[in-house]
Amino acid sequence: MSKTGIIIKREYFIRVRKKSFLIMTFLGPILIASLWIIPFFLAMNSETKSRVLVVDETLMEKEGVKSSLYLHKFKNNKELIFEYGYDIQEAQDKLSQGDYDAVLEIVSTTDMPPIKGFLFFSENEPSLSAQSEIQTQLSNILKDHVLTYDYGMSGEDLEWFNNPKIGFYSKDIRSGKDSYKEIKTFLAIISGICIYMFIFMFGAQVMKSVSEEKTSRIVEVLVSSIKPVQLLMGKIIAVGLVGLTQLLLWLVLSVVIIGGLKTISPQTFTEPQEENITINERVISVDKVGEMASDSSQVNQVIQGLFSINYTLVILMFIFYFLTGYLLYAALFGAVGALIDVDTDAQQFTLPITIPLIIAMVCFPIVINAPSGGVAFWLSMIPLTSPMVMMMRIPYGVPVWEIATSMGLIILFIIFCMWLAAKIYRTGILMYGKNITYKEIWKWFKYNN
Amino acid sequence: MIIFSTNEVSKTYANHKALDKVSINVEQGSVFGLLGPNGAGKTTLIRIINQITAPDEGEIFFMGEKLRSEHVYSIGYLPEERGLYKKMKVGEQAIYLAELKGIKKVEAKKRLEYWFNRFDIYSWWNRKVEELSKGMQQKVQFITTILHEPKLLIFDEPFSGFDPINANLLKEEILALKNKGATIIFSTHNMESVEAICDSIALINKSKKILDGRVDEIKQRFKKHEFEIILPKEEDISNYIFEGTELIDKETNNNFQVSKLKIEEGRNAELLSRIIQNTDIISYKEILPTMNEIFIDTVSNE
Repeated sequence: MSKTGIIIKREYFIRVRKKSFLIMTFLGPILIASLWIIPFFLAMNSETKSRVLVVDETLMEKEGVKSSLYLHKFKNNKELIFEYGYDIQEAQDKLSQGDYDAVLEIVSTTDMPPIKGFLFFSENEPSLSAQSEIQTQLSNILKDHVLTYDYGMSGEDLEWFNNPKIGFYSKDIRSGKDSYKEIKTFLAIISGICIYMFIFMFGAQVMKSVSEEKTSRIVEVLVSSIKPVQLLMGKIIAVGLVGLTQLLLWLVLSVVIIGGLKTISPQTFTEPQEENITINERVISVDKVGEMASDSSQVNQVIQGLFSINYTLVILMFIFYFLTGYLLYAALFGAVGALIDVDTDAQQFTLPITIPLIIAMVCFPIVINAPSGGVAFWLSMIPLTSPMVMMMRIPYGVPVWEIATSMGLIILFIIFCMWLAAKIYRTGILMYGKNITYKEIWKWFKYNN
Repeated sequence: MIIFSTNEVSKTYANHKALDKVSINVEQGSVFGLLGPNGAGKTTLIRIINQITAPDEGEIFFMGEKLRSEHVYSIGYLPEERGLYKKMKVGEQAIYLAELKGIKKVEAKKRLEYWFNRFDIYSWWNRKVEELSKGMQQKVQFITTILHEPKLLIFDEPFSGFDPINANLLKEEILALKNKGATIIFSTHNMESVEAICDSIALINKSKKILDGRVDEIKQRFKKHEFEIILPKEEDISNYIFEGTELIDKETNNNFQVSKLKIEEGRNAELLSRIIQNTDIISYKEILPTMNEIFIDTVSNE
């Protein structure tokens, strides 16, 4: 085995066997699972009021009096306020201007009764409760109508009254393309935070490990057997592998836990069953929107949303920025570890490298709000913040040249940081009982080891 | 045969010159003392030998070749600042350090069993280092230094931190290693230990080598032609003194008169024959300077 291999082996197993590793391994998935559950609860318990414009194309005007099956039939509740219009173009404009939160279009069809064309457009995903509310109200209206007039319908048609099918589209009308913003935001935040946490946790471990070897003085024995660079690299690789192991265990355990919860209480993860709505029944196929209107229940839409994001790209980029971000900061943390002695004030050296991390974290909301804005662009180019910020931008779509530039920059910067870290490390680890200043570090670059 | 040598090795740090054209030659199978006051450059030289740092100028030879990285397998190093992983188990740690010196795990374990038994610390194999006393930690570290049977051993202040019993044990082990053919370079302030175990020395002061050679030879070089003579107490040395001899000290106790004389070179016999015609000489010997005196003299004369 090569010497670096021996180092990696020790550094890896000593960490994996620790109690704290075991604890984190079991706590992590619970955290991940809760992150997974929260959006569902949020979707179910939306408290904000949405203004819905009902555009009724079946509206008829007779002697100045407007009448329709649906006019003024929808009841306002704590979540939804209904208003009525009849020009779909005007409604779409109003929706895009933000006058309304959603448009319910009742499409005129040749069928009698005209019940088969219901389209619901909104800027954002309608909450689950809003969806079921509209469904129930429609069902009630239709039932009233059918009770009043006998159309002589067959059983299959009658089934529609209980479950009128609505096509839900959270459509970005301004750009004319699907946005699925919530899913993207969720993905962006999760991957950004994940990289941030990983860098902080495991970068700090590299620093701690280096400074422990220095303060215990064992490093002098070690570097008489192995080159300092090999020692530092072995350490960085081993801690990185520990992180990857933990991540892998988290994924496996999360799947197990979520799977377990699903069997225990399935309602939590599907829609409320008491509304008599099941996901797959709410299928609509209306000629007008034929190709768009496939499975469009919310859960299906989430899946659809996930597919609309370039998933392969997100995963590949996540792995790339996850590793490069870690390598970059591990090198810097390693160098800082070499500067810390028993009674040194570590703060002055850790601060310069934690500040970029904190800046990236603080700018998360700005990046989410404007993924293509100036702040997001520059932070995703600067290598110290790009692993987190670029990763947050990617679900929203980023031009290839920007990704390529960011990747190139970070690789160059890693090479520079590794060189810098190696230089500081091999001098710093042998400086005992001396308060190292920045001025002194600067001098180290002037002589060779 | 010279096993290790440096040729005009210099090393400059940002502010100061740590070593200035230092050349040393270490004879195979000898104990070589590296002496000098604090900050003279000993540690720098030791780190250069261990390839922890590289010299700016000069050449280093080991076993007839230029020093290269594979040579670390043939060198054992016990630094002045001792240290082990505190949270790691003793046995595990010793195996790890042996592996870094190129020994296979099984072989390392076998050798460690021998040494742990010899030093009577085998029962501590599965304990964490932090549970051990300082002396025991030193023993563990000593074992890890010599386990790969290096041809060249470097001990930086080996006796510091040892109690007298363990220091003696250590001294015996060092001499035993020497008898087995190992070459030892050791740096120390303890001049008594230099007298006891060193064959040759080099004295470094202010980054320059100011003295080197075999210990007995250096003592000859620095001798002041001083003699101690013990006569029966009735006698008085003053009666025998002549031009060219100088009485430094005279002391009479219950039985003898002990005096210290400085005698001009080559006139020993003259003095002795004078005395011997009249009285018995109980003892007569040359006072050679101690390494301690040589050290202080040389350094303060710089």
